Amino acid sequence: MIGLLARRLLQLIPTIFLVSVIIFSLQHLLPGDPALIMAGEEKDPEVIAQIRAQYHLDQPIVLQYLYWVKGVFVGDLGESMRLKQPISELIAQKLPVTLQLASMAMVIALVIGVGMGVLSAVKKGTGWDAAANLFALWGISTPNFWLGIMMIFLFSVQLGWLPASGFVSPFENLSQSLKASIMPAFVLGNSIAGVLMRHTRGAMLQALQSDYVRTARAKGLHEPRVVLHHAMRNALTPIITLGALEFGTLLSGAVLTEQIFSIPGFGKLIVDAVLNRDYAVVQGVVLVTSAVYIVLNLLADIGYILANPRLRA
Amino acid sequence: MSSVLEVDELSVSFAGEDGRMTTVVDKVSFKIGTGRTLGIVGESGCGKSVTSLAIMGLLDPASASVSGTVTFEGIDLRRESESRLRDLRGDRMAMIFQEPMTSLNPSHTVGAQIVEAIQRHRALSRKDAEARALEALRQVSIPSPETRFHDYPHRLSGGMRQRVMIAMALSCDPKLVIADEPTTALDVTIQAQILDLLRRLRDDTGAAIMLITHDLGVVAEVCEDVLVMYAGEVVERASVGTLFRAPQHPYTVGLMGAIPRMAERKPRLATIEGSVPNMRALPAGCRFSPRCPFADAQCRTMPPPIREVEAGHTTRCWKAPLESLVA
Repeated sequence: MIGLLARRLLQLIPTIFLVSVIIFSLQHLLPGDPALIMAGEEKDPEVIAQIRAQYHLDQPIVLQYLYWVKGVFVGDLGESMRLKQPISELIAQKLPVTLQLASMAMVIALVIGVGMGVLSAVKKGTGWDAAANLFALWGISTPNFWLGIMMIFLFSVQLGWLPASGFVSPFENLSQSLKASIMPAFVLGNSIAGVLMRHTRGAMLQALQSDYVRTARAKGLHEPRVVLHHAMRNALTPIITLGALEFGTLLSGAVLTEQIFSIPGFGKLIVDAVLNRDYAVVQGVVLVTSAVYIVLNLLADIGYILANPRLRA
Repeated sequence: MSSVLEVDELSVSFAGEDGRMTTVVDKVSFKIGTGRTLGIVGESGCGKSVTSLAIMGLLDPASASVSGTVTFEGIDLRRESESRLRDLRGDRMAMIFQEPMTSLNPSHTVGAQIVEAIQRHRALSRKDAEARALEALRQVSIPSPETRFHDYPHRLSGGMRQRVMIAMALSCDPKLVIADEPTTALDVTIQAQILDLLRRLRDDTGAAIMLITHDLGVVAEVCEDVLVMYAGEVVERASVGTLFRAPQHPYTVGLMGAIPRMAERKPRLATIEGSVPNMRALPAGCRFSPRCPFADAQCRTMPPPIREVEAGHTTRCWKAPLESLVA
């Protein structure tokens, strides 16, 4: 088990190296000279030269990469050319927002998606199953921006129960924070719940037909135990895989949803950075997002090992 | 002789895709006495496994419709509630399945799966249940049971897993054990060990065994009574000695011809011509008539009744006793 984990961790090193090279070089393949943009209207050659020197843009590309990596290691991701603010600071501001939103969305998605998937598999062919499938179809096919607007219309405008937009830190005011983020979290969770439900249902149907479930029933076990302890345990793999992937997507920012609810999260940060050719910010955000994906993949791997004893060789 | 299990006119039908019902077990009746072993023999698809699942109450009520009565230790199982049946399953009636490779849950240790069965039916502490599970593993001759207890099923061979299944089935001292092809998936040498084990456990515990198999050789090894099934019906029933000495149904005779023997070297094994009938389009008369060398017009038009050819020996054949045909 520990050996397996160590091996997984070692495998991360080349992955991270490759990701950093790709992130770094993609930026340089894009057209447009950042020094020219920063120099402003006059395009004074002296200013341009100074900017180039300051950001090492006049150095060979390999050196530029090394400067960047060196910075990353000490937590210095550079400075936003547009906002004149350290990127690590920008990320530190936005990441907790996105993290909270993504976690809440994930909890909602897991509770609804897995719950409904199990229910519909157990009650296959009944009204419950049909209702759950309909819900999944709704979840998958409803555009987030539309659902967001409809929810704002109903719960904020008509009923006045929830704030229409904004973000409050949970450390400031927990109930206000939850109130402000429940709608965007639901919008995000809703679509994931649909996908999760379909996968959970499929995996559960397969598990429920298995010989070991028949054995569990032949032992006289109660149905909830058969379903949760015997079938569910073996249906976890696709749920872990999908959960980790979807969580990664959520953490890289939900551009549309953040826009609708005016949430200052990752999505907005990266869109603004791309539109303004704020190279360093894009690099920093993509790097953090990749790191998040890598960590989630690692967690998923650990999850597989915990769920499936056959992998603990 | 008191019987542990009495099955009377048990029928099972399944709804097909088009909604038509197909009867796969047709009015099957038999009894098993205390401490006796009954073998149920037939080709795959003859309804023997479905019969056992129907007795255990393990058929999905949404797709299978069951009729007839099943009386176990005086309890009319078909009238009992699902929760009462659950209390009996794994306790006084237990089942061993054909596929030891897939019948154990891959995500739980062998020990945990046995302990679970014990704690379901006995108010024992975890420690006592574990001691009892270890005892059960010892009973089925698993080497170093203390280590095996903590192993996951994938670390065990097929034969060991089947032993675990048997240990699990026996963990609550059942009065009836239904073994559905317990040796089919195993190597021949392991088969003999498992049969030996079943025989020994029956003698030790006094449980009645219903052994389902397609192999008459297995029946000859372990059983006292035999039921031969064909196309969902019982076609012959007798004690093992009688059946092997004087089979009274052409299908049984055919099955015996299909057993390879060391003593007499035949150039080719006897086979039964044709194949099992489609359960949705059964022959009008005797279900075996299309494959039967003795069938005549009567056989093809009228289903034969069950007849007793001698005490305790019944057959569903117009031509019985068959000796008259050979002579």
